[in-house]
Amino acid sequence: MAPFELLEPRTLREAAALLASGDATVRPFAGGTAVMLMMKMGVLRPTRLVSLRAIEKRYSGIEAGAGGTLRIGAMATLSTLERSPVVRKEAPVITRTLRTLSNVRVRNVATVGGHLAHADPHMDLPPVLIALGATISTVDAKGGRTIPLEQLYSGYLETTLGRGELISEVTVPRQAPRRAAYLKCTTRSVDDWPALGVAVVLDTASENEGAVVRDARIVISAATDTPKRLGAAESALRGARVDDSVLRRAGDAAASEAAVIGDEHGSAAYKRELLRVYVVRAVRAALARNEG
Amino acid sequence: MNTVQRTIRFTLNGEAVSADVPPHWNLVELLQNRFALFGARESCGQGLCGCCTVLVNGTAVTGCLYLAALVDGAEVVTIERAADGDGLDAVQKAFIECGAFQCGFCTPGFILMTRQLLDEKPDPTEDEIRHYLSGNLCRCGAYPEIIEAVRRAARMRKSTS
Amino acid sequence: MRAEEKRGAVGRSVPRLEGKAKVTGRAEYVHNLRLPGMLHGKIFRSTIAHGRIKRIDVTAARAVPGVHRVVTGEDIRAIIPDPHYGPAFHDQPILALDKVRHVGEPVALVLATDPHVAEEAASLIDVQYEALPAVFDEVEAMTSKAVVHEVLRPAGTFPDLKHLQGRKNTNIALDYHLRRGDAAAAFKKADRVFEHTFRTQQVLHVPLEPFVSAAVPGDGTLTIHTASQSPSFVRIEIARLLGWPESKVRVKVPYLGGGFGAKLYIKLEALVAAASLLTGRPVKVSLTMEEQFYTLTKHAATIRIKSGVTKDGRITARECEVWWNGGAYADIGPRITQKSGFTAPGPYDIENVHIDSYALYTNLPPAGALRGFGIPQLVWAYDGHTDMIARELRLDPLEFRRKNLLRDGRPQATGTVMKDAALDKALERVAARLDWGKPFERGSGTVRRGRGIAIGFKAVIAPTTSVAIVNLYADGSCALYSSTVDMGQGSDTAMAQIVAEVLGIRIESITVVHPDTDVTPYDMATLGSRSTYHMGNAVRRAAEDARDKLLALAREVGLSGETTPIAEVFRKKYGMQAGNIIGTGSFIPTYQPTDHDTGQSANVTPFWMIGASGAEVEVDTETGQVKVTRLVNVSDVGTPINPRIVETQLSGASIMQLGFTLSEKMEFSAGQCTNASLAGYRIPGMLDIPASIANEAVDSTEHGGPFGAKGVGESGTFSVSPAIANAIDDAVGVRLTSLPLTAEAVYRALRTKQGSPLKA
Repeated sequence: MAPFELLEPRTLREAAALLASGDATVRPFAGGTAVMLMMKMGVLRPTRLVSLRAIEKRYSGIEAGAGGTLRIGAMATLSTLERSPVVRKEAPVITRTLRTLSNVRVRNVATVGGHLAHADPHMDLPPVLIALGATISTVDAKGGRTIPLEQLYSGYLETTLGRGELISEVTVPRQAPRRAAYLKCTTRSVDDWPALGVAVVLDTASENEGAVVRDARIVISAATDTPKRLGAAESALRGARVDDSVLRRAGDAAASEAAVIGDEHGSAAYKRELLRVYVVRAVRAALARNEG
Repeated sequence: MNTVQRTIRFTLNGEAVSADVPPHWNLVELLQNRFALFGARESCGQGLCGCCTVLVNGTAVTGCLYLAALVDGAEVVTIERAADGDGLDAVQKAFIECGAFQCGFCTPGFILMTRQLLDEKPDPTEDEIRHYLSGNLCRCGAYPEIIEAVRRAARMRKSTS
Repeated sequence: MRAEEKRGAVGRSVPRLEGKAKVTGRAEYVHNLRLPGMLHGKIFRSTIAHGRIKRIDVTAARAVPGVHRVVTGEDIRAIIPDPHYGPAFHDQPILALDKVRHVGEPVALVLATDPHVAEEAASLIDVQYEALPAVFDEVEAMTSKAVVHEVLRPAGTFPDLKHLQGRKNTNIALDYHLRRGDAAAAFKKADRVFEHTFRTQQVLHVPLEPFVSAAVPGDGTLTIHTASQSPSFVRIEIARLLGWPESKVRVKVPYLGGGFGAKLYIKLEALVAAASLLTGRPVKVSLTMEEQFYTLTKHAATIRIKSGVTKDGRITARECEVWWNGGAYADIGPRITQKSGFTAPGPYDIENVHIDSYALYTNLPPAGALRGFGIPQLVWAYDGHTDMIARELRLDPLEFRRKNLLRDGRPQATGTVMKDAALDKALERVAARLDWGKPFERGSGTVRRGRGIAIGFKAVIAPTTSVAIVNLYADGSCALYSSTVDMGQGSDTAMAQIVAEVLGIRIESITVVHPDTDVTPYDMATLGSRSTYHMGNAVRRAAEDARDKLLALAREVGLSGETTPIAEVFRKKYGMQAGNIIGTGSFIPTYQPTDHDTGQSANVTPFWMIGASGAEVEVDTETGQVKVTRLVNVSDVGTPINPRIVETQLSGASIMQLGFTLSEKMEFSAGQCTNASLAGYRIPGMLDIPASIANEAVDSTEHGGPFGAKGVGESGTFSVSPAIANAIDDAVGVRLTSLPLTAEAVYRALRTKQGSPLKA
């Protein structure tokens, strides 16, 4: 690693201004895990790092607003999120997801904003938050904007964030009464990066003769270059009473619509078969949970 | 190379210290090069093996991915911090008694993480042990003995508290 | 002797001597070493698999402020005119000369006091190559026009490799042949003939302490601190390279953070030696985890195995053809090829055997020993083959093995008669622990359950020498000087137990002096599960020598050596607490070299290692995912010196092999390893460990071993892979013949079986 200048601005706006300098080798640094890895590998050689650790404390907070909507500060660590009672209450699928997200030490330092902005499709929270319908707010020199999280991702490790634009907050609608599950499939060691992630959030009605799906949001991750909604699979479920044939249709729809990529975790053909199975399993897992 | 150092002050194993560090040093380099503490050691370099585990403000971090300059003002604890009495705490004793290590290179990381786990959950289930320690690797494969040691340490801590 | 202390040190599970040092983070490793004026070296490595070096441009690197020097292969010739090393062939240059032969081969070394500066500068080195055709596959290497080495020079170091020649203009480093009976005739007579081909992949040792060595130049001397399993070899080889007497090279080894066969022979030692002599300063080179992937791998192998069997299930003929992918430098591959060839037909009583085994050069990173010296690869083949035959013949796999198993007193394929080899007990204990005879829950729906067993064996490397010194102090405490390296296997503790047992003293009063070739005597190396037997015997002899001298001294001063405290004997002799008694012991077993044409020998090994495993698995039929729910490892280790440590060795070895079985694989693209990190190459973690792992040493005695003991470090690896593959077959009726057994491979096999193969 080569030396660099380490800056520690006191406000998020100040940080955004420092990052807007036009120099592509200036990088924001929150938990720092991903940045340190890239610097060690020599793929990132910054002249300046802008640490976000000293910015306003309010960007580290987590709170539930009206109707149970979660407002998560971008600088909240993943372990804060994991242990947050309001998150467990309002969106238990997030709490469950965090348990197998990377490891304890990484969760202790990695921040929600960094996790989302890194845009590695193998990350676990983006598919879950997209399925829940989360939005992100950003800050930049001109002010900022609020967009659905799914619009953040433009490619592998690529986002639509401009230079000097930083995520400030994530807003997550309350999970209940919807049912949710996130399943990931690892193909080498159990704690490997996933070959596939599937997040499912279902709005269901009447449970006497099996659930009828009013609305479904299904998101794939890891096997594609960005986390993506699976529209055809969602349509297959929407309005349907869930049974084996409906589930099969949803799985088949997902397998045909997703642009699955092969890598060391498995060939594209194999991951497509996994997707077919995991969509079914994720829907079943969501329905099996009584958190509504 | 530009090696403008900054002076940082922090608490190391209970003692106030200061050190001059280049901006690109990680926490392991700081501990080894400035304080001759070698219990936190870099192995995988990616935060996966846990050999470099250090506690910063009571939280376990990956020392080889943590910029040294950022411990300015923090409380840093390493495996070298001695316990009271004969110098070994329940976790260390349990690791010895259970034969929960072979080459010993990963051991400090496992011990620090086990202390964190037992502070959070004094009586963890096997599943909780496995998940909590899944970010630490032991190539000698002492995992079954480590699980046994964590349970033993939990019992020892309970009986003395 | 002193009755109050005669509790018997051997056979007890005493805690490790170094326990406190390890749990407090204070154990000494080479990584901790910092020396005044020390330079850190960063290696610049080849980016191509095979090519001639046209030009090495180090100007930019040299210009980086803080760079002390940049060293190339040609620079090294100034102090070492012929800078090639290796235990089998002198084929490996300290830094590349003329040619590079694999991606990652060291080409230059940048030296700086700041390791970050050295790293930065190394990235600025520019090398131009003329690419040459490369060969990567071991079977192709047999006939490939791409020849990795134009000239081969046998090292002549080890007695078991004296016959090495290497064939000119081929990639064959060694070919081993075994002929017993008349296999061709027996195949003709056999009722059934089965033939299968198996593959194993390149995998890595991954000691968590990566390779590290440092050299300190002195006045006509050189001290090397190194994480090495073979300090005596390092001293002899460095002295040979420098043309110095052995006495001028000192090699010191503290604890190792894992070795597993990686840290043998010369790795970084010659490089730091040369760099320190060129600069006159201490030089340390510490590899990163990534660099380990370019340094030494386990051999990938292709194994064709064919058996002739009678109707009632007796194996009458076996033919094996084995191709070992040795990578660009032979390292100890030729020994692996030969020694594993001894047992390639498996632990079965087969009259007619025909084996051809080839060590091949390819343009991949060098391959060497990894916990089993080729045996896990062979057991993978022969005990999968065994199961496949049993299934074809509709015989119970256990029954089929029983019928064919080698028994003590019967000649093995080399002609050596089996003795103290509890194959039958190991097999029966695995079966009993799996409740083999009882009904088995086979699962339902998408989860199917199965179980499998396998058994393998190994001849130890022979003949090899160990020497030990016991230094008894005047207060009755003592030091043991041994060059056995404790890399986690617990040898310090086991050796101290032997000394304590012989001298009747407390184990806590014994200090084990770590390898320091100026102090500790010769030992061939810590490898191949040889230390307990060889060094154990040497230590026992040294302790007995000390005891005999103590008894003589007691007689001389008119005391009873049997009952008098040791300190009193010394006081009576010297009038105060003074003096020493030095006991020495050395051990080399008998051995008869194998015949070059037939591979026959009446005495091929001093002892046999036995490892059997049983596995229960759950297979997800929709995804191919395999979960090992139960693993049983049973071994014949003779009589354990320290039962607890023996158990952890079996367990740890089986967990390592579990990784090689299910998840670990080095991926290559044009010879470049594409997953050279622990993120890309997955070793087992906490969550991968079966819910139930049971380990057992059968009741046994090795009559040539110290207190009935023999080696254990490798036995737990032997049979894990075939046991799991056999269990998968049992669960879902598909047979995998290539490692690792990935979910995708299982899934594809299931689809093929269903008649709808998945497209590539």
